[in-house]
Amino acid sequence: MEIFAALASVLSDPIILMWVFAAAIVGMVVGAIPGLTASAAIAMLLPVTFYMQPLAALAFLYVIGKSGRYGGSIAAILFNTPGTAASAATQIDGYPLSKRGMSSKAMKVATLSSITGDYVGEILLIAGVGIIAAIALKMGPPELFAVYFAAFVVIGSVIGKSITRGLASAALGVLIKMVGLDPISSEERFTFGSFDLSNGISLVPLMIGIFVLGEVFSQLEARGKPIEQFDDPDNDDARARNRLTWAEYKPCIPHVIRSSFIGSFIGMLPGLGSAIAAFVAYGEGKRRAKNPEEWGKGALEGIAAPEAANNAVSGPSMAPLLTLGIPGSIIGAILIGVFLIHGIQVGPTLFLTQKELIYQLFACGLVGIAAYGLIGYYGASFVGRFILKIPTDVLYPVIFLTSFVAAYSARGSMFDVLIMVIAGFGGWLMKCYDFNPAAFVISFVLAGGAEETFRQSLLLSDHGALIFFTRPVALGFLIVGVVAVVARARSLSKQAKEASLNDA
Amino acid sequence: MERRTFLKTSALASVGLALSGTAAFAEWKPRRPVSIILPYKAGGGTDSYARAVASASDGLFPVPFVVVNKPGSSGITGAVEASRSRPDGTAVLLTSAGSFLLTSLLRETDVTPLDSFRIVAQIGKLTTSLMVPMNSPYQTLDDLVADIKARPGEVRWAHTGNGGFHHVAGQGFLDSNDLEAVGVPFKGGSATRAALIGEQVDFGMIGIQQAAGFENELRPLALNSDQRDAFMTEVPTFAEAGYDAVDVSSPIIMFAPKDTPDDVVAGLEAAMKEITESEAFINAMAERGNAPVFLPGPEAEANLRAMKDNVSSIIGALKSQG
Repeated sequence: MEIFAALASVLSDPIILMWVFAAAIVGMVVGAIPGLTASAAIAMLLPVTFYMQPLAALAFLYVIGKSGRYGGSIAAILFNTPGTAASAATQIDGYPLSKRGMSSKAMKVATLSSITGDYVGEILLIAGVGIIAAIALKMGPPELFAVYFAAFVVIGSVIGKSITRGLASAALGVLIKMVGLDPISSEERFTFGSFDLSNGISLVPLMIGIFVLGEVFSQLEARGKPIEQFDDPDNDDARARNRLTWAEYKPCIPHVIRSSFIGSFIGMLPGLGSAIAAFVAYGEGKRRAKNPEEWGKGALEGIAAPEAANNAVSGPSMAPLLTLGIPGSIIGAILIGVFLIHGIQVGPTLFLTQKELIYQLFACGLVGIAAYGLIGYYGASFVGRFILKIPTDVLYPVIFLTSFVAAYSARGSMFDVLIMVIAGFGGWLMKCYDFNPAAFVISFVLAGGAEETFRQSLLLSDHGALIFFTRPVALGFLIVGVVAVVARARSLSKQAKEASLNDA
Repeated sequence: MERRTFLKTSALASVGLALSGTAAFAEWKPRRPVSIILPYKAGGGTDSYARAVASASDGLFPVPFVVVNKPGSSGITGAVEASRSRPDGTAVLLTSAGSFLLTSLLRETDVTPLDSFRIVAQIGKLTTSLMVPMNSPYQTLDDLVADIKARPGEVRWAHTGNGGFHHVAGQGFLDSNDLEAVGVPFKGGSATRAALIGEQVDFGMIGIQQAAGFENELRPLALNSDQRDAFMTEVPTFAEAGYDAVDVSSPIIMFAPKDTPDDVVAGLEAAMKEITESEAFINAMAERGNAPVFLPGPEAEANLRAMKDNVSSIIGALKSQG
């Protein structure tokens, strides 16, 4: 087993270990800063890695990707401002827990779930890199479209009180995604002659605006009202509340296992990514939960499910990347560049020519997960307690400022800052009028890939939409999607009926 | 050490040209780092050229080159920014000029390669090729053409996006041989290559360097160029295979803002010549299956104008379809 030899060599190399630990910290910090995503951090740190050894460079960036996905949960839980799109699902249950003074407990659950998910993904990658790559290769546009279609169902699970407003939010997400160049014909759509709009609306500023600025505005609105102090720090009562017992974590375990496999599967597919994995896992978890009424109000399971899934994406997404040169994410695309800059050609021959390096990289991944897990479990809860002592009228202005920096730094574009500000007002108004920001962002994330693969499929087909029925894998996912939609619709209409009965 | 051997070889190699080059160098002394504005994301094909220039310039150029990635709108975002930079040699644009030209012809853009910039030099070239999956029944271009003729409009082919030079080259080949096939765009080179290896399509137009490392998965049938590739020497050109094609490739060209003075452009041009001839640059490029192709500014500009004329009929056809 090459991985044990690689693990031994990594563990005995202090320089590599130093880089891995540095990456775990950097990733957590950038992930935790609202709006500053791991991929933006990697893009910024990329030039530094040109001067490093290939293994150190790759391991550094790879582990930043992992711990950044985890770090996003810190801000989501503490401030209701997800650090990354992948942790937007975590805030749904994480923030209510913080409000009840249980932020440390929430973060411990997030940490345990993230590392479990990450380990499942990484081990699947090490054991089945060839099989995963073969699956990824067989997923053509029709199959991918069917997966996107099935994933749209998760919108139903985050929809709040009003179904119509939830669906309207989702439709708005699709509409906003349409702005820019048509993915097939490259014609401009909804650009109104504006050059900046021809590039489309990018996810990072939109997400920062909707979630982070939206939250800042909500806090601003609450100004003048008595500040609710939700962590009376450092008394025995608070400590007891934040202690995580086995009895509490036990119900989370089935969710963590299921979500780890959901995340790993989504990771294998090019282009879907951690945000979709997190929402699909959240939706699926809520559907199967024994206590669905608690989800959204601070259920520990509601943190465990998305956090396990978004980290499980990391490992398997490396398989198509390494063997086929297909990047599953922005981070993946940057990693390909790093391989090339160090003169390593990714592709099917990589495991013949660079076997040792690749297994050492996987070993660094394993070490990196442990590193951010340890730092997170003991550090994040401490940081959490510390940050909650900062009064909100100091904290939110700082968050307000960093969101501007983050929106600008992703692409160095002032237009993105404008988008963020507009989205900020949009997100605030959505909250005010009970529209659903989460549904909006999910459909925005899904719409682009869904449209592209749908239209590619039609071009590939001799008989129009029949292509989705003649390819068994595509048909399978379509059926899963339809069944889930019907089931969801029935439970929602039941809810609506009950609600109207209660009103009467 | 390396630098010294390089200086020696470059001195020997360019006795004649060095005179004009060094003379210009003497006139323009850059004092601040030169930003290379790269209108694509870090890690792509054109990006690797910029990175190689930056790392190989060490010791050959008095100030460092700094690569600034400004991706967006198929490379236009960065081009607009570069055109608005101060014309004093502190910012230049390095881009895939074929794609830039085609985009400016197909869409209303604020900048065009021939009107908004001065051309410093060409430092490389991306060439597209027609490839099929390894298990494909097509062994030669003749097999493929026969099948397209037998089933007009049913053969599917992949390219990297409408209006890109791979697409225009593929459509050009089909049009000039009266063939009908359905093009399917995928996002970027690696996605197109994956679709091809996964046999989602019958053939694909992708850069010849994309076959490096995929020799057991892909079979290049023809190269869209007037001469064979420096690395994949066994692949015939379209002309050698007996078919017409449209000469469209994507030279990697360095542009300077329109009002940049002559001495600055000449200084940069001389520097590019030195850098592209350096061992560090050649090695960095060879690892990716690319050979440096240096052309001085006026020649690069003439080639770009010729390409503009070559593609005009296809562009017209594409626009009317759209």
